Amino acid sequence: MSTAIRNADHARMSSAPGTATEPVIRVQNVSRWFGSVVAVSDVSFDVTPGITGLLGPNGAGKTTLLRMMTGLAGVSTGSVTVFGEPVRDNPPLYRRIGVMSEHETVYGFMKGREFVTMMARLRDVPDVENAVDRAIELVDLADAQYRPMETYSRGMRQRMRLAATLVHEPDVLILDEPLNGADPRQRLHFKHLLETLKAQGKTIVISSHILEEVEQLADTVLLIVNGKLAASGGFRAIRAALNQRPYHVRIISDAPRQLAAAVVKLASVDAVHVDPDGALVVLSRNVGDLQLELPRLAQAERIGLRRVEPLDDSLESVFGYLVDA
Amino acid sequence: MRSVYLLTLRQLTGKWRLAIMTVLAAMPVIITVLMLHDESAGSVDQFEQAILGAMLAGSIAPLVVLAIAAAAFGNEVEDRTLANLTISPVPRWKIALPKLLATITIAGPFIALSALLTAHVAFIADWPATIAVTISAIVGVAMYASLFVWLGLVSTQAIGVGLLYIVLWEGFFAGFVSGARMLSVRYYAIALMHAMDPRRFATLDHVSGVTASIVATVVIGGFLALSVRRLRRMDVP
Repeated sequence: MSTAIRNADHARMSSAPGTATEPVIRVQNVSRWFGSVVAVSDVSFDVTPGITGLLGPNGAGKTTLLRMMTGLAGVSTGSVTVFGEPVRDNPPLYRRIGVMSEHETVYGFMKGREFVTMMARLRDVPDVENAVDRAIELVDLADAQYRPMETYSRGMRQRMRLAATLVHEPDVLILDEPLNGADPRQRLHFKHLLETLKAQGKTIVISSHILEEVEQLADTVLLIVNGKLAASGGFRAIRAALNQRPYHVRIISDAPRQLAAAVVKLASVDAVHVDPDGALVVLSRNVGDLQLELPRLAQAERIGLRRVEPLDDSLESVFGYLVDA
Repeated sequence: MRSVYLLTLRQLTGKWRLAIMTVLAAMPVIITVLMLHDESAGSVDQFEQAILGAMLAGSIAPLVVLAIAAAAFGNEVEDRTLANLTISPVPRWKIALPKLLATITIAGPFIALSALLTAHVAFIADWPATIAVTISAIVGVAMYASLFVWLGLVSTQAIGVGLLYIVLWEGFFAGFVSGARMLSVRYYAIALMHAMDPRRFATLDHVSGVTASIVATVVIGGFLALSVRRLRRMDVP
């Protein structure tokens, strides 16, 4: 798929007519370079309330973009606004923004509660003690709040940082790799927490390398590749926009070689091969047709289908495709 | 401001750092005591030039302050915790000023006590001279602190750059090149000392007390303003 098509698709998806919600975060023609290295190049998008996932391969420019969205880094050109105000060098705006960077920015000598209390005081939270109680309760760390943070596991430090990020009840949350070090139970808890915050109308931007979880959480996905916005929208919308891309489908059947001979004749199939383990792998540019034709074909050939699964229906494969395109 | 101040106090009071500061601060006192018991020791003038001017104001005070001040922001930049402060709705001066005050709070007593004991021992309870030495040392600490706090914000090699500054500028050029003294913290600290007790310190180079006070204010305020400016414009790691 060409870049032009992807950009056109992006424009359609991010500026859908009839969308009444005003953008909370607006990134306009933002570029950032470090010497001769261009980290982010002419990126524009709007973020509305809900959960937006910022995704891309390592080195794509996600963190640079997030840092510009939080005002921690300046832009070379373009502008970033939050609630219509420039985010850079605008301390009062931070009353409405909660930022959690990817680094473990904690003070090891502090107890967890001290850290959250300090962050609450820095943000002029009116009822500090209650706010701290509530934030620590949210991340389920009440039992560990009086322990020095240097004794915490990585996951616990992340959660206490999240409590510090939430303590002033910000309208906008920008979370860079918040699930680092979290165990499955903590991930589930985090997912429920984000859903609660989303239901409260918060605007949440999250980046993560745990793609499946972002896929489950995010309403909108921003795909950043080589410092550019490769695509944006719902995950399914992106997938639909990429439907010209060849898919690999793995088929487990009673008679793989017989099925291969029959399947290769279908118009929706570009190529087939049989894996050493006996699985048939089909390359198709029209998975919709393949889904319809395969069961009929198997029935006609009297071949039992045990399992049919996409091999590359993940965001990693989308990244790979976009990078290679 | 209180939160940043208390945080910085905790960050800067590591055992090793305090131990090094204690040793450095004790040196002028120990050397003064040794000089008093040495019959071949130099004159009072030489003592004032060497111990108060070169050693206390030109070496010990800046070294102690550098050890503290460079870490005030430097450590936060290095371990990336500075973002905790800069993503708060706090005016940048309310971050820079408590950092400076915390630096002075920690380094000040060490240098003040060192200056007080050194002067008390050397001048045998000449209180006007002792007070002049102590107050000028504290003002010197404040000037060095403002300079080195800013340095910790603009350079990841603040300790190295600061050491070069102390050795080359304060220790060498300001000691031998008369024009360079006009840009030396040590020079104005000594000038203040002279202004407060001209009787005792008549032999030292000096400018007027008013000029020294103005320059001290400009240095402290100027580097504080530069720190605030840097906080507003820098990319926070």
